[in-house]
Amino acid sequence: MKTLVEAPIEDKRITLKEAVKLVPDGSHLFWGGFGFQRPPMAFAHELVRQKKRGLTIYTCGSEMDIDILSGAKVVSRYELAFYAIEGIGLVPNIQRRVREGSIEIEDYSNLAMVMRFLGGALGVPFMPLKSMLGTDMLAKKKFRAHKAEIMDCPFTGEKVVLVPSVRPDFSIIHAQRVDQEGNVQIDGIKGEDVEGARAGKKVIVMTEEIVDAEFIRSQPDQTIIPNIYVTHVVECPWGSHPMMVYNYYDYDMEHVRTYYDQCKTEEGWQKYCQDYITSVNSHNEFLQKIGMERLMKHKAKKPFPY
Amino acid sequence: MVKYAKPDEFNTLELMAVCGSRQIKNGEVVFIGTGLPMIAALLAKRTHAPGARIVFEAGFIDSNAKDIALSIADSRLGWRASGAIGLLETLGLMLQGGHVDVGFVGAAQIDEYGNINTTYIGPFEKPTVRLPGSGGGNDIISSAKRIVVIMTHEKRKMVKKLDYLTSPGFLDGPGAREKVGLMGGGPSLVVTNLGQMDFDPKTKRMRLATVHPGVTSQQVVENSGFDLIVPKDMPTTDLPTCEELDLLRSIDPNGIYIPRKT
Repeated sequence: MKTLVEAPIEDKRITLKEAVKLVPDGSHLFWGGFGFQRPPMAFAHELVRQKKRGLTIYTCGSEMDIDILSGAKVVSRYELAFYAIEGIGLVPNIQRRVREGSIEIEDYSNLAMVMRFLGGALGVPFMPLKSMLGTDMLAKKKFRAHKAEIMDCPFTGEKVVLVPSVRPDFSIIHAQRVDQEGNVQIDGIKGEDVEGARAGKKVIVMTEEIVDAEFIRSQPDQTIIPNIYVTHVVECPWGSHPMMVYNYYDYDMEHVRTYYDQCKTEEGWQKYCQDYITSVNSHNEFLQKIGMERLMKHKAKKPFPY
Repeated sequence: MVKYAKPDEFNTLELMAVCGSRQIKNGEVVFIGTGLPMIAALLAKRTHAPGARIVFEAGFIDSNAKDIALSIADSRLGWRASGAIGLLETLGLMLQGGHVDVGFVGAAQIDEYGNINTTYIGPFEKPTVRLPGSGGGNDIISSAKRIVVIMTHEKRKMVKKLDYLTSPGFLDGPGAREKVGLMGGGPSLVVTNLGQMDFDPKTKRMRLATVHPGVTSQQVVENSGFDLIVPKDMPTTDLPTCEELDLLRSIDPNGIYIPRKT
């Protein structure tokens, strides 16, 4: 019997700096993570450092990460369902930027956004759902020419809402483990990353750990996103700090609270941005600034995933 | 015999959590967020509804969290959960698929038909405050069989006209939900710091059902910006039991969501 020829292992790894350089001003991004879980925080910092402008972000619910992008005026438009810093309050920078008029938000429900990503991933132009009926989310819009439409189902006559699919230029997600070919494992909740990653024209996956291709292939049922979808892989331990990554580390609420309190004023935000983002050169320097001792305090304590 | 607490032995948030907990029946699928509803659901599981399954929209299913979570995506909710999936599962397949019995939501504004605003305060074109938005709130109120709203009772929150309708109650009255194609049963109870309100089956308007101990119907009316239906005989909200209070305090030992009575 003829043995299979081993295919060479493709290496999709690039640095965080290189990955962010690929994102031109004005790009449309799917933004991964959900709530406090696995936000691409390090990617947000690097977008700020590289002074990107005019981005549009699509997401279900995001928090401190998109507040940073709003404060630094990286993003001008959002299509989303939710933002806040849960357990603390409203996101301070977005509040201010909305009032100033430098940010516009088109709001949908969470399920509507998931369906829009699923539609994009499936390659169909819209998806039907049973939310948003009878509300101002259907009746009122900010900047989209077509936000959502009501339709009578051609088969049953039932009323459904149609939402436009999204195919962003890039999908940015942060995962626990990825091999160098881009096969992705995600522990804990997946939020809307399964659909969101597949919707992107290009997909950049940040990861806590690069694992051996053999490790992935020894447990293929754990692959949440196969490498076929993935364009680039960025190794980025503590990439969601000060938010959390299931099985890896907990949030640093003291840092988050300090951020929240400080960002109530523009001056306070500018100082935070300077101290933690623009005065450091890289994600590693940011982590050094936080300090290894402090980081280790938040490392997940088995058997707990936090 | 069940021992009830005296009115000076608990605070209003504790009473609200107990009211919420009593809306959950054993074996039900319960859709909740963090905060007071989470405490209420955990209490129900430790008392009359051990078989209730708590679903969080981020993807944690049948959570048995032992530590208090700050985010609906908090890893704490993964502790002894039966599943950790995602939003398409929870909001799509589970909720829109018709498997959720009761959902808990909050509100920045509510009107007399139980319609809810969590998006804008002030005019849509130039809002004074941009609130968090729908999140999964609209999906939950659209499609769960019953809805319990937990909120504070103030005139500026119980309004005649919402600044923005994020999530549908009974819209403009009887038959309106069916007419626009909504599947779920709509709001069944509003729990506030002053009392509990249900909805008149004929008009679908909010109706005072019980007042909390020490609160009068008149006080509730004065704190409502719309005409609340007030029946003549007004029962007082059932007091929490001593067991419920002990459990509540063990669920949230550091008073993260229910600060201790001082």
